Amino acid sequence: MELGKGRSSVRGAWGRIVADTETNTPTDPKSFEDKDRIRTAGFSVGGLWDQYGSHVVTVVNLICFFILWEVFARSGVVNKVFFPTASGMFGTLWEGLTRSAPPDAIISGQIIDHLLYTLRTLSIGVTLACLLGVPAGLLMGGNRYVEKILSPYVWGMASLPRIALVPLFILFMGFTVKMQITIVTLSALFPIVINAWAGVKTTEKSLIAAAKVFGASRTNIYVHVVLPYTLPFIIAGIQQGIGRGMVAVIIAEIFGGSNGLGFLITRAADTFNSELMYAVLLLLVIISLSFIKITRMIEIYIAPWRQQVVM
Amino acid sequence: MFLDVTGRDDASTNSGDHRGTQQPLIVAKNMTVGYKLHRERKLLTALRDITLTVNRGEFVCLLGPSGCGKTTFINAISGIVLPWEGTIEVDGAPVTGPGPDRAMVFQDYALMPWRTVESNIRMPFEFQKLGMSKQQIDERVERYLDLVELKGFEKSYPYELSGGMRQRVGIARALATEPTILLADEPFAAIDAMTREAMQSELERFVTKTRQTVVFITHSIDEAITLGDRIVVISRRPGRIKEVLDVNLPRPRFDQDVKSLPAYSELRERIWSLVKDEALSGAHGEE
Repeated sequence: MELGKGRSSVRGAWGRIVADTETNTPTDPKSFEDKDRIRTAGFSVGGLWDQYGSHVVTVVNLICFFILWEVFARSGVVNKVFFPTASGMFGTLWEGLTRSAPPDAIISGQIIDHLLYTLRTLSIGVTLACLLGVPAGLLMGGNRYVEKILSPYVWGMASLPRIALVPLFILFMGFTVKMQITIVTLSALFPIVINAWAGVKTTEKSLIAAAKVFGASRTNIYVHVVLPYTLPFIIAGIQQGIGRGMVAVIIAEIFGGSNGLGFLITRAADTFNSELMYAVLLLLVIISLSFIKITRMIEIYIAPWRQQVVM
Repeated sequence: MFLDVTGRDDASTNSGDHRGTQQPLIVAKNMTVGYKLHRERKLLTALRDITLTVNRGEFVCLLGPSGCGKTTFINAISGIVLPWEGTIEVDGAPVTGPGPDRAMVFQDYALMPWRTVESNIRMPFEFQKLGMSKQQIDERVERYLDLVELKGFEKSYPYELSGGMRQRVGIARALATEPTILLADEPFAAIDAMTREAMQSELERFVTKTRQTVVFITHSIDEAITLGDRIVVISRRPGRIKEVLDVNLPRPRFDQDVKSLPAYSELRERIWSLVKDEALSGAHGEE
């Protein structure tokens, strides 16, 4: 009798903990009603604000910014050649994205054509960097000899500003897409390698020990512990790689080539077309932010247990 | 000072309070274990010349200061480290690696964060070939989810649970394959005091039911006395066995207030006198 009683009380202790996490059940029905009403009233306002409040603030903030811009530009304090109106910039951007280029234009091609060209170069370069970088990083993390052999080159290349290589690759390959893709790949490669490598190296020892105790083979440990642990690191590496690749592609296009957003910026500068130049710059900001947002969402979807990733 | 207790005439073994039998299950003979420190390129002896026998069905607590090699001891039993000298045998065969007859509960839970509660408990069945059908495994997982009262949390991820709940997943994972030996490495050290008491009593209940042999590491004297049939006191590194003490307190201990018994405080005092110097030197940062 006594025995059973003791057990149930212990079960109760655990049961309570479980119940606490699920609901807070008030005891007095009247106070419950009152509380409920207040909470519901608060919820309808607070809930909407919680959900969309920050977006509203951002939109209002941006509208104010562009209105100030417009007023400032129209006031004529700064020459329009250097500082166009916001409306002019948006107009150029809209036209450039929606209409095809007239055949007699000074600058060949519309914004949209150059945008697609740049995105293509960027995505080919980053894809190549992933295909090379992820396996290389995983191997470096998993094998001490590979790590010993490759790490001086990885650190060397990672610390060298890749832009310094642009003249060399122009020499090798000329003003070609190949040259641009090579620069993007090299720029995106090293953050990807280093993150994958770090992910494998920092896999929690206790997780590996647990897997071993429960009978995991070497392959099991790699597939079921190290890889899932490293996945968010790889995504963070790719995120950084896209950022670096973006810089690289613009610089490669500014240096040489007759296509792409980088080329368009130089052409806009050469022809004193400030509206076009600002439109391209704004477009670059939007593209970069979208990439960050998308990879961030992928990261949260794949590894909700790891909200912050190092490096 | 090294006690081989297999052949001893122990009255408590027959009194019914003691869970152990007279059959030796884990036998360590003059075992020395350590590990390589990669960074400093040297070998570190964690345990020196350990001779100890754990009988089938016994609950043995290893008690000692931090860094005394307690964890290395159960790692040696589990087979993830192998002895440098001497031998360690489980059920008559030398330990050559991990096996399904041994399972472990970890201090930091060591749950795979990308697996759900249910999937974590299922993990050992995926790695070990136990010859069970999918249906049998499902039943087993369900039964142990139920045992640790985590029904309704099957699809939760560890990061969504409290520390106590996470360790219940860890316990369920270790018990689900129904191993002969349960190894526990300070499993409740990171859990708040009230939940810890509840979990200690639950653990006593589980292993009483399953008749498992338990080797339990702790640095809490009270935890060692309330859980163990025997307490092995280990000295500071390199760890040696200082003393082996029997705990002759009635079971189940959590249903009775064993802490108020005179035998309890006597034992507590005795253990404290054994570990006092080391605990104090540890507090002053001496190695």
